[in-house]
Amino acid sequence: VSFRRRLLLLFALTVLLSVATVTAIISTWTRRAFDHANDERTAAFVAQFHREFENHGEEVSRRIQSIAASADANRMLVAAAQRTPDYSPFLDTAQVIAETQRFDFLEFADDRGTIISSAQWPAKFGYNQPLVTQSPPNKPFLKEEELPSGPALGLFAIHSMTAVGRRLYIIGGIRLNKSFLATLEPPAGTSVMLYETLDSATFSPDHLISAVGAPGDADAQQLAPIIQQVQSNHREFGTVIRGSSGGQTVNAFPLTGENHQVLGVLLVASSRQIYAELRSQIGAAALLAASAGLILAILLSSWAATRVTRPVEELARAAHEVAAGNWNATVEVSTRDEIGELAESFNRMTRDLLDHSERLVQAERVAAWRELARRLAHELKNPLFPLQLTVENLLRAREQGQQQFDETFRESAATLLSEISNLKNIIGKFSDFSKMPQPHFQAVQLRELFEGVIKLHQAQLTKAGIHCHLEISTDSPIAADPELLHRALSNLILNAIEAMPQGGTLTLRASQRHDSVRIEISDSGSGLAPEESAQLFTPYYTSKPHGTGLGLAIVQSIVSDHGGRISVTSEPGRGTTFIIELSANRDKLPAAQRTHV
Amino acid sequence: MKRFSSILIVAASLACAAVANAATRPHYGGTLRVSVQASPQTIDPMALDSAGFRSLKQLVFETLVKLDDRGRLQPLLATSWQVEPGNQRWRFQIRNGVIFSDGVPVDASVAAASVRAANPEWKVFALGDLVMIETSSPVPNLAAELTLPRNSISRRSEGKLIGTGPFTVAQWDAAKQHLTLQANDQYWGGRPFVDSIEADFGKNDRDQLMLMDLGKSDLVEVAPEDIRRAQGGNRVVKTSQPAELLALVFTRNAQSDDEVHLRNALAISIDSAALNNVVFQAAGEPSGALLPNWLSGYAFVYPAGGGGATRPRVSHSVVWTFSCDTADPVARIAADRILLNARDVGITLQIVNSENADIRLAKLALPSADPETALSELARDFQLPVPTFSNSTISGLYSAESMLLQSHRVVPLIYLRGAVALRTNVHGFKLLPDGSWQLDNVWLSSETP
Repeated sequence: VSFRRRLLLLFALTVLLSVATVTAIISTWTRRAFDHANDERTAAFVAQFHREFENHGEEVSRRIQSIAASADANRMLVAAAQRTPDYSPFLDTAQVIAETQRFDFLEFADDRGTIISSAQWPAKFGYNQPLVTQSPPNKPFLKEEELPSGPALGLFAIHSMTAVGRRLYIIGGIRLNKSFLATLEPPAGTSVMLYETLDSATFSPDHLISAVGAPGDADAQQLAPIIQQVQSNHREFGTVIRGSSGGQTVNAFPLTGENHQVLGVLLVASSRQIYAELRSQIGAAALLAASAGLILAILLSSWAATRVTRPVEELARAAHEVAAGNWNATVEVSTRDEIGELAESFNRMTRDLLDHSERLVQAERVAAWRELARRLAHELKNPLFPLQLTVENLLRAREQGQQQFDETFRESAATLLSEISNLKNIIGKFSDFSKMPQPHFQAVQLRELFEGVIKLHQAQLTKAGIHCHLEISTDSPIAADPELLHRALSNLILNAIEAMPQGGTLTLRASQRHDSVRIEISDSGSGLAPEESAQLFTPYYTSKPHGTGLGLAIVQSIVSDHGGRISVTSEPGRGTTFIIELSANRDKLPAAQRTHV
Repeated sequence: MKRFSSILIVAASLACAAVANAATRPHYGGTLRVSVQASPQTIDPMALDSAGFRSLKQLVFETLVKLDDRGRLQPLLATSWQVEPGNQRWRFQIRNGVIFSDGVPVDASVAAASVRAANPEWKVFALGDLVMIETSSPVPNLAAELTLPRNSISRRSEGKLIGTGPFTVAQWDAAKQHLTLQANDQYWGGRPFVDSIEADFGKNDRDQLMLMDLGKSDLVEVAPEDIRRAQGGNRVVKTSQPAELLALVFTRNAQSDDEVHLRNALAISIDSAALNNVVFQAAGEPSGALLPNWLSGYAFVYPAGGGGATRPRVSHSVVWTFSCDTADPVARIAADRILLNARDVGITLQIVNSENADIRLAKLALPSADPETALSELARDFQLPVPTFSNSTISGLYSAESMLLQSHRVVPLIYLRGAVALRTNVHGFKLLPDGSWQLDNVWLSSETP
C-alpha cells in the first residue's frame, strides 16, 4: 500500500471516527431526552386514566342510587320481604333498567345473595351473588364478570336499600371496553389498550381491547411477554417494541381488583416515530458530514502527498533506473528538509557509483587487454619456439654440408609450414571471436538440426566409442539462426567427445516449455569441479592443454545473441550437462514464416 | 203516576232485552284480523305448523273426520266409518253434496287420492261412496290419524291447492307473510259469519299485542311467558291446556352406558320448575313425559327435572354442543338457564348456531288431541321409531311412551299452555285443549266503548 493511500486512509479514518463519535453522542442525548419526555407523558396519561376510572366509578354509583329510588327496586324489595318470594315478574327488569341507565352489568340480589334479576345473564336468576354474601365494597371497584360469552372486565359499584327488615342489593357496572378507552383521549402519538386478564393465565389476543380497533395478531403477540411480565410481577413494566415507523415504547400497568389480583393490564403505547425521524435526520447529517470530511480528507491527503510523497516517488523512480542500469539517474532537489537531504545523498551516491563503475570498466578493460596479450603471447610463443629451433637447425646444417643441409632444409621447411599454419589457425580463431555475426532468424526444426550435427560428428563419435541418444519431445519449430545454432551445438558436442576419451553416452534433449525450448547436451564423462564450472564461459579460459578458451565463449555469445541463456550442471565423476534455454522468438521471424512457427 | 211508572219500567226492560239480544246474536259480515308468530312459506296442509296457523289452514282444508274439544272423533267429510276386527281394514262413507271451493264435487276417489298421497304405506282406494283403507299391520288409531292436517282432502287446480272448508284462499303472499281467506258461500256446512279473515304472519309477541292495542288486530297469539302481561285492557286472554312441549332432543343415540348416565345427569340437573316459573312465567307445567297429563292421565309418574341442591356432579367432564332458536329471546334465556344448570353438575354445553349440534332445545306444538296420534307424531318429529300400539288402552299408550323415553334421545322439560288474546268484539271463538283454534263460528260485533 503506497504512502499516499496510507495517508488517505488515515485521514478518512480520523474523519469517520470523529463523525461517528459525535453522532453517537448526539443520538444518545436525543434518545434520553425522548425517553424522559415519553415517561412524563405516560405518567400523566396513567394519572388521567385513574381519574377517569374514579369519575366513571362515581357515575356508576350515582346511577345505581337513582335505580334504588325507582318503583321497580321498591317492588323487588317488597317481593323480597314476602315469606316465599316470587321473583318471576322481575326476569327482564334488570335488562330494561340497564338499557335505560346505560349499564353493561346490572343485577339485583336479596340479602341471602339470591339473584332476583340479571341484565348481563338473565338466566342467572336464583343463583348466588357472592359479592352480597361476602363483605360488599363501599366504593367502585374492578371486577371480572362472568357472561354467557365468557368473562369480561367491568367497573362496578354496589348499593343496598333496606325496608321491613329486608335488604336489596343493586350491583351495576360498565364494561372496560373500547367505548371506555375512547373516553380517555390519549395524547397524540400515544395509544391505549387494555388486556383483560380474566380467568386464563395464557395470553389470548381476543382479550386485548384497543380504542382504535383490534390490534393485529402480530402486534398482539409482541405485547404478550409484556403482559405476562406484569401478570407475574404485579408491577409496572416498560419496553420498546421494534417495528415499522420506529416502533413504539410500551408501558404496562397492572389493574387490580378487590383482592389485589391482576384483573387487567393497561397498555400505553407511545410511537417512536418522531424519535426515529430525528435519529434519521441525525444519521443523514452525520452521513453528510462524513462525506464532506472524506472529500476534505482526499484533498488534504493529496496535498500532503504532493508535499511528502512526490520527492519520495522521485527517489523511488531514480532507484528503479539505477537498478535497471541507468547510473546517470538523478533526483531534482527542491526542498531543504529531510527529503531534500535524502535526494542530495542519492544524487551523490549515483555520481560516486558512476565514477566507480567507470573506473571498474577501465580496470576490467586493462585487465582484458592484459589477458589478451598474455594469451596471444602464450599462443604465439608456442609455435615460435619450434620456428626458432628449426631456423637454428637450418643455420647449423649449412655449416655441416650441402647434403645435410638439404635433408635438414626439407624437414625444417615442413616444420615451419606446420607451425605457420598453426599460427594462422590461432589468429583465425581470435578473428572469428571478434567478428561474431548477428543471427538471421528463420524457422528451425530442432530434430533436423540435431540430426545434422550428429551426422557431422558421427565418425568421431563412432571412433571414440560414444553412443548418441536423442530425446526430442517437441515438433514445434523455433526462430533461430540455423548456422550459428549448428556451430554452438557442434562446439558442445566436440567438448563432450573430448570429455569422454574412453567412450560413453551423449544425450541430446529438447523440450517445449511455454514459449521457450530447453535444450540439454549431456555427457557421461568425468565431470567438472565447481570452480571449473564457474569459469567455464570466461573467454580464453580452458582446462585443456591445447585449447584457446574461446569455444564455450562463442557458444555463450551465440545463445546470448538469440536472447537465450546457457548454464552448466556438473559433478565430478557424473558427467556434465549444458542447458540452453531459448525463446521461441516468433516476433523475429519474417511475416511469411511466422504462421508456420 | 204509579201506573205510568210501571209502564215505563216494562218498556225499558223490553228495550234492554232487545239490545242485549242484538249483542249476543251472531252477525254476518266483517273481517277478522289475525296475527300469528309463525313465518310459513307455504299453505300446504302437509307442512308442519304452529297451532294458530294449523287452525287457519283447517278453515280451508278439511279432513274426513275431526276431533272435538274433548278429543272424540266426529264426522266431517266422512259421515260414518267402520273398522273390521284386527284394525287393518277401514271404510269411510263420503258425505254427499260436498264440493271444492271451485265447484268440483268431492267423491270417494278424490278423497282416496288425497289420503293415499299423504300415506303411501297404506292401501287406499274408492269403492262407490266409500273410501277403503287397508294397512299391513293393525292401526287402531287410524281414524284419529286422519284428523291430522296432512290428511286433508284437497285437489290441485292451476297450481293452487283447493279445499272444501268454510273459507277459500283469496290471496297468499309468502314474501309479505299475508294471507286473506274469503268466506266460502258454497260451504256444505253453511256460510261462515265473517266475510273474510286477514292474517299477518311473522309478528313477535310484543308486536302482536301492540297491533291489538292499536285496533289493527282482533285475534293474536300470546306467548306463554306473556300471558300475565297480556291480560287486562280491552282484550280477553284465553289459555289452552298445556299443549306445547319444550324438550331437549339429542341428535343421535347414546353410544355407551356412560353417555346414558350423562344424559340422565343432564335431565336431573335442569330445574324445570324454575324454568317454568320464571322464564315462562308459570305458563306451563314441568313435565318428564312426552304427552301432557291432561291427555294421557299418567304423566305425573314421570318426574320432571328437579334441580335444587341435591344434584350430583358427573364423574368426568363432558362438552356437548347445544343449539336453540337464537332469534327467540325467551328460548335463549331458557337455553342459558339449562347451560347454567348443566354446568352445576359438571356438564359443559356450548351454545352453537348449527343444526348439527349434539343437543337442540325443541318447542313442539301438541300435534293432536288424540294421545296415540300425538305420541306417534312427536316420535316422528323427534326422529324416533314410530311406536306401535297393541291396543287402545292406557297401558298400551304408557308402554309406548316409556319406550320412547328409554331411548334417552328426548328430555321433556315443560308443557306450555297455548294462549290467544281476543278483542272483545270477537265472539264464537273457541280455544281447544290442544291449543288449536276453532274459528269457523267466529262472528264480530260492533265494539263496545
